[in-house]
Amino acid sequence: MKEKAYAYGSLRERIKTEWIIYLLALVFILIADKIGQIRIPVWKGTFIIFPIFFSLALGLLTGPNVLKILDDKKVKAAGSLVGVAILPFIAKLGINAGAQIKTVLSVGPAILLQEFGNLGTIFLALPVALLLGLKRDGIGAAHSINRETNLALIQDMYGASSPEAQGCLAVYITIGMVGTIYFGFMASVVAALNWFHPYALGMASGVGAGILMSSATATLTQIYPAMAEQISALAAASETVSGIDGIYMAIFIGLPLCNFLYKKLEPKIGRLTKYGRREQA
Amino acid sequence: MNMRAKEVIFTLAITGVGMLLANLIGFHVSFMESLPGVGVLLVIALLGAGLKAIIPLKLPTVAYCSILGLLAACPISPISQFVIDAAGKINFTAPLTMVGAYAGMSISNQLRTFIRTGWRYIIVAILVMTGTFLASALIGQIVLKLMGTI
Repeated sequence: MKEKAYAYGSLRERIKTEWIIYLLALVFILIADKIGQIRIPVWKGTFIIFPIFFSLALGLLTGPNVLKILDDKKVKAAGSLVGVAILPFIAKLGINAGAQIKTVLSVGPAILLQEFGNLGTIFLALPVALLLGLKRDGIGAAHSINRETNLALIQDMYGASSPEAQGCLAVYITIGMVGTIYFGFMASVVAALNWFHPYALGMASGVGAGILMSSATATLTQIYPAMAEQISALAAASETVSGIDGIYMAIFIGLPLCNFLYKKLEPKIGRLTKYGRREQA
Repeated sequence: MNMRAKEVIFTLAITGVGMLLANLIGFHVSFMESLPGVGVLLVIALLGAGLKAIIPLKLPTVAYCSILGLLAACPISPISQFVIDAAGKINFTAPLTMVGAYAGMSISNQLRTFIRTGWRYIIVAILVMTGTFLASALIGQIVLKLMGTI
């Protein structure tokens, strides 16, 4: 049987490499939670800046591009720690959903069907990507919310150096940088428009990206304190379902749909700009 | 997750310290008051990681944690009231600060790439997030209306 590949030889070795990461994270918690929440009303919405945003910004500074406290190996190690640190939060969301199980079950069909809304990105983002002159990279960029699983999928299907993978990676990085703050703000603007019931907004928050979901949910529970429990329960349920079906959505619907739209739309709207008419490599 | 059980337990324990700290600094909940909730969340996280390791399905660990949390808190669970009360002491955003710190560090080597990323991709990324959210909310709204829930 094949021996499972571990990142480190032993726990001791892990601690020897990663202690500085733990220490920095704990210091950043002290700073970020001391600052606490900041609310800035903007137009119809409110930027609610949560401590997670400050700790993320501080974390960004530690890497090889700025302060150089962490080298590439430690940066990678921090990535796998995200996967561990998010688990208790997800457990908490699961508990909220369990406590509100009646609400969750009573809207079960809505939760399942709104999963198809995760394909909504394609109808909005792909045409604009083509208008802007993106080519096959636009398919990678617009096919899904572009989190880790999608990145792996696209690299597997098209190859790591394909234009599709480049587009996917660019959006992956961009959402990592601005997603936490943008997604919560956008949710607050949409809430202010009053088009949707808070339950629908809660479900919509679960897009298959833990950090985005938490940012939107934290914002929505502040806007609708009386329905906070239900909102977070529905977000949790939808997030769980998205986490399970996301990759299949991409393989069986998202990517075929992108390729179909690309064939139809690219010749029409893809060459309107000079950038869009450029020579293809 | 390419970690031994020992490593998962250790890194989760650190996460627990992070939650205690965030709940104290941000929300003035004492360590003693937070402890049962942190314990519950860590045990569920650990069991979720354990299930992921032994069940040969391609489900993400978060799916197991979410389902275990749901089962522990739903009315059929004999300990549901304890679980709900304990977890209720942990503020919603308290477990997230540490996630943010790690996440920031984990993409800190992409900062330069991000700055060089063309504005076209930034527009597309914003639309990707907006489109996913709006379309899901729209479908949710319609189905809830049809079902008569709202």
